[in-house]
Order: sequence, then structure tokens, then C-alpha cells
Amino acid sequence: MNERTREYLRGRFGDHYRQVSIEPPPRANEREWGYIPFSEGGTRMVRHRAWIDLVGGADDLADALADDSVRPQHVYYSAGSYDDPGANSMGRKGWRGSDLVFDLDADHLPGVDPEAATYAEMLATCKEALLRLLDILAGDFGFTDTDVVFSGGRGYHVHVRRADVQSLDRSARGEIATYVRGSEVEFEDLVRTEAVGGAAGRTSPAEKRTLPPEGGWSGRLHERLEAFVDELVAMDEDAALERLRAFDNVGEKKAAGALRAMRENREAIAAGNVDVHPAFLSVTRTLLTEALAEAGAPIDEPVTTDINRLIRLPGSLHGGSGLAVTPLDRDELADFDPLDDAVPDTFRHNDIAVEVTEPGVVELLGDTFSMEAGEHRVTEARGVFLMTRGRAEKAPE
Amino acid sequence: MQRLHARYPFLSAAREAVQSADVDLVALVREGGPAVERGVERVRRALLEGTAESEERYGARAELLSYPVARVLVSLLDAPGATEKYARAEAALAQRRFVADFAEERSLRSGGETLSLGDLLADFGLSGDVRPTGDGQFDVAVAAYLRLSSGLDGEDWRLVRRRLHDGVVPVDNAELETLLREAVRERVAEGLPLTVPDPIAEGLSEAVGQLRTAVADADPPRSFTGRMEPGSLPPCMHALLDRSRDGEDLPEHSRFALVGFLATFDDLDAHDIAAIAGLDDPERVRYQLQRLRDDRGVAFAPPSCATMQAYGDCVNQDDLCAEIAHPLSYYERRAGEPSGAEEDATAD
Ligand code: SF4
Repeated sequence: MNERTREYLRGRFGDHYRQVSIEPPPRANEREWGYIPFSEGGTRMVRHRAWIDLVGGADDLADALADDSVRPQHVYYSAGSYDDPGANSMGRKGWRGSDLVFDLDADHLPGVDPEAATYAEMLATCKEALLRLLDILAGDFGFTDTDVVFSGGRGYHVHVRRADVQSLDRSARGEIATYVRGSEVEFEDLVRTEAVGGAAGRTSPAEKRTLPPEGGWSGRLHERLEAFVDELVAMDEDAALERLRAFDNVGEKKAAGALRAMRENREAIAAGNVDVHPAFLSVTRTLLTEALAEAGAPIDEPVTTDINRLIRLPGSLHGGSGLAVTPLDRDELADFDPLDDAVPDTFRHNDIAVEVTEPGVVELLGDTFSMEAGEHRVTEARGVFLMTRGRAEKAPE
Repeated sequence: MQRLHARYPFLSAAREAVQSADVDLVALVREGGPAVERGVERVRRALLEGTAESEERYGARAELLSYPVARVLVSLLDAPGATEKYARAEAALAQRRFVADFAEERSLRSGGETLSLGDLLADFGLSGDVRPTGDGQFDVAVAAYLRLSSGLDGEDWRLVRRRLHDGVVPVDNAELETLLREAVRERVAEGLPLTVPDPIAEGLSEAVGQLRTAVADADPPRSFTGRMEPGSLPPCMHALLDRSRDGEDLPEHSRFALVGFLATFDDLDAHDIAAIAGLDDPERVRYQLQRLRDDRGVAFAPPSCATMQAYGDCVNQDDLCAEIAHPLSYYERRAGEPSGAEEDATAD
């Protein structure tokens, strides 16, 4: 990014902050604040700021950000609250508690190749994961009151600010992260094994494995299993057998055995018994192991476990895209299109001249453009997007 | 009420009772007596036997006051792991008591001197977090569950294995009792070690000395990191080293004591030890080292002062020797002192 581009963006980010109002997070004065200014190199973080250092006498947080002494490229605040948030080391800040934060980033999504997928595709996959995350948080944890934010970059943040999560330590947060992710959970973790004593018939296994229905991961997987069994039992024989044979290590005989066991043991299976037949158990194991990998939300664990994490400020601009870090209501979520809805109004109305240095596709404002190298006039939002991503420089008007 | 406080001295009500009784702690520890005796017993048994229960009968007042005394003692003891061990023992005792009390409450035979589940939950601010669901089952709010289970080992406590739903973790009766034990442990450990005012520390110095001996005897350090400081070695080890370096072929037990002692320095390998002790068979040292380091258990622990004395290897005892019961504890104490003190002792 050259000097002219930097000065341009700095000026326009400032104009933006002059026009908007930003609602600070709760307990803003107990939090640490930080920002990265528009300066050469561009990664020097100014941090350990108290609210008062940043905002001073300004009426609105956005006014403070618009001030010439700040005009940041990126703005952050801490998930943690402190006695003395402006102290220079964590030890001296005096930790009081932290919001519980979840970060979904397209970079960390399994099955997404950041090289191959388009920006819009990545964001769409991310939104699906977000919906699963919110579902787990509400249904399992009872965290229904969450703040959902589009990060302005490649994903979403979810903040849980209720009082009883504040004091959770790293390890408790780690437990939550592992739970939410699901992917490190193993089928065997969820199955209860009981020794079955006595002289039952010869088919009685010496151990009985159950997947407790209702509640937790075992409940969620049990639901999947029930749906699968219902589906197979309803199919005609040949189709059902074929479906079963598609599993690894399941031949004709095993498929027939498993199917018979499913038909004959509907009730036992509904009660959680997964030991009704050896082939059924192995099919179940495969099915549910796959489900575990897909049903969780691939959050970035270190963000959740770090009680002193700095998070991007909702309402601020992301200096690597020019998009607004956008707070979202739950009912806006389904229709939210980050590449249109997160484009700040400030950048929608003018055309500007840019020199494209890295040609390629730009998806923004509902359109997909292929940009050649060289000088162009584009809608300012597209220009800002290209410049902040390092794909263009400002050209003289 | 007194009896209840005596049995559960960590309850807020008990703390208030101690405060309102306006006891002069300085006078109490200076004069000694049953509260101090019982306080010493609490810590000693906690550290050595894992329980804070008494082997004698003490009055309610002594029981109640012995708890703050014990917290002061364990703070003064300042031994690694001591506060944790102590808190665990107090919590285990509390659990035994409240489990019995809950059973009595359920059978409605309670005479008002027992602690009910509701009272305990209320004292810990958990009333809103634990809800009975019938059949000896309870729902615990997930944040409280995570806090209380964080110190528990065992896969079954992992959140992913729990039937978490709507913000609660279902637990059974026994699990709830374990979680409450953890709540007690947390409370007992809170604020430990205390900063103890000098007059109280002085009043308890003898008791602390006794405890230190008892603990060092049972639990010497098992490994040291960093360089070995020859100036901090106990007299017995100096003597054994001198003999060995002079070329004497040490008797088996003496050699074992010396190599075992040196083996606790993680940085030393068989060659180093052979060189320091002037032994010309590093292979044999290596063999002993392997057994010692593979199993830092009791079986191969280097001998205590008592064993050293029995073999006649305890020689040239100095002042510190009176306070410890294991050559490794001697080294730990001496190496932990500011170096000036050590020079004073040897400068002449
Ligand atoms: S009392 Fe213990 S440390 Fe002191 S010389 Fe004797 S054996 Fe060694």
C-alpha cells in the first residue's frame, strides 16, 4: 500500500466515522481498547488503552475514531473486563471476568479450500456453521441472548455476555469450545458400556452399549440414528440393503443382519441400545462419526479460551476489506448478504479511480466483476475493497 | 447452631460466628490450648493422611476456632502443594458429614443440628444453579457445573459426555455431592496462603516447626531442577562424597543413599553423577538411575534421616538437621535460603 492509498483510506475511514454512530459494548470503561493505525507497515497495534484514553471527551465512540489522532485501520476491544484496563501488562490489569466469544472464520472451516472457493462461497459456508453454532448455544447451553456480528472479513463472531459466564476460566471455556466443535468428540466417548451379566441367550453380548437419548451430543446423535433407522425401515428391502452395503466393511450378510436387527429392535434402539447386532453397531459407529464431524461448529478454539482476547469492535470498519463489522439481529441472519449489506453507506455513492495491481474477480454489491490490471473507475466500495486487500492502489483523480 | 458451625467451619455463618465471638487470635495462639492443638492436627492429618478429621473429641468452640488456626498454619508452612492438599482434606471431611446429614434430613429424623442440601447450596450461592428433578437426579446450571467440575479428573466429567440441554447438566446424587465437595475445596483454598501478621506467626512458630518435621519426613522433594549447589548439601552427603572421592569402596546402602540423592537432580546424568562422586563404574550408576527415575515412587526413594542414622551414615549433624527428617528436605530448605545466610554460616 503506497502513501497516496494509505492517506486516501485514512481520510475516507475518518469521513465514515464522522457520519455514523457506534454503540459501545456494555462495560466499555472496564475493557482494554486497541487499534491499528494507518501507518507504514500497518501492523503496529496500539493497545492497553482505557476507554477514557480512546474516547476522551467525545460524545460518540465514532467521533473519537474519526479524530485525526486515531483514524484506525482496525479497532478492537477486549472480551475481558479489568480493574485497570489501561495497565501495561495483563498481570497488573486485575481481571474481573470475560465475555464468552466464538469466532467462525472461513480460513478454519473444514471442507473449504480458501484457494479454490470464492469469497461469497466461503461466507455462505460460514453462515451455515453460524446457524449450527447458534443452535447448539441456545438448545444445549441455554445461551439464547447472544450478540451476533459479521466480522467484516471472512466470518462471524458470537458474543455471550451474561453474568454467569464471566468468571469461567480457560479450562471451562476449553470444555465449551470442545463441546461446540464436536469434531474431537469420539463415538466411544458418548457410548455407555454396561456389563450385562447372567445366562441370557447365546446372542446376548457380554457388554451392552447404549447411546443415551435426549440431551447432549449423545442425544443429538441418537436423533440422527433414529432418523436413519426410520428411513431404512421404510425403504424396500433391496434399497435398504444397498444403502447399508455402502458402508465400509459391510457385505451382503452383515447388511441383512443389520437390517433385520433394526426391524426387530425398534424400541430398544429408541431407548438408546446400539448393541442389537454387531453389524448395526459398526454401521452406527461410522454414521455417527461422520455426523460428529459435520454437526458441530468449527469455531477457532483459541479465541474462545483466551480470556484476554481482543475482538473487533462491532460498528467499526475492517481495514482488510473496507466492510463494516456488522451486528445482526437473529431474524436478519437468513437474508444477510455480507458482500452487500455490510458495505458502508459512505462508500456507495461515488466512483473513484484506482490502479489495479492484482487482477481478478471482485464480488461486491451483488455483482461479480473481473478486473484487469491497470487504471479503472469503480464504485468507491469496490475500490476500497481492492485497496484494503492490497490488490489496487489509489490512482490520481 | 454452635455444633453445626463446628462441623462446617467454612460456612459463611461459621465465619461470622468466629468474628462475632471477638476472639483475640494473638492471645489464642500464644496460650495454645485445644483450638491450636486441633488446628495442628487438622493440618498434620490433612497432609499426611488426607483427612482433616480428629482422632480425639474436642469441644465445639475448639473445633470452630481450630479452622482459622489451621488456615494460618498451612500458610506459614509454605510447603509446595500443602494448601491444595489441605483444602482437599477439609473438603473430603465436609463431604462425609454432609452426605450423612442429607440422609438424616431425608429421613426426617433431623433435630435441627444437621445441614440440609438447601442450606449448603444457599451458603455457596448455588440455590439458583441446582434443581432437583426427582429420583435422586439434579439439574446443574452449566456455568456452575463447569466451575465446580474443573478440578475433577475422569472422562465422565467432560462436558461433551454430559446430556447438556437448555443450559443444565443432569447429574445424579453422588455426582452432586462430588460437585459440592469441590465447592468446599474451592472455598477452603480461597485466599490461601494468607499473609500472617508477625505476632500470630511467632505464637505458632513451634507448631509450624513440628508440622514441618512431620511433613518433611513423609514427603521429601523428589526432584530438583537447575544446578546442584554443593554448599547446600547436608552433612551426611558431604561425608559420603568425601569418602567416595577418596577412593573408598562405599558399602551398598551408603552408595545407594548417595547415588539416590544425586539422582534427584534432573540435570545430572549417570556420567555426571559418577564424576561428582568419583565412581569409576558409570554403567552401574546408570542402572540404578534408571530404576530411580522410572519409578520415583516410594520403593526406590533415597533413605530418610532415620534410615541414615540406622546405618551410621548420619554424621556431623547441624542445626538445620534438627528441623528436617530427610536429607532431601535439608537440601531443599538450604537451597531455598537467600545465599547470604549460607555464607554467614560457613564464613570463619
Ligand atoms: S540429620 Fe539427616 S540430613 Fe542431617 S546429617 Fe543426618 S541424615 Fe543427613
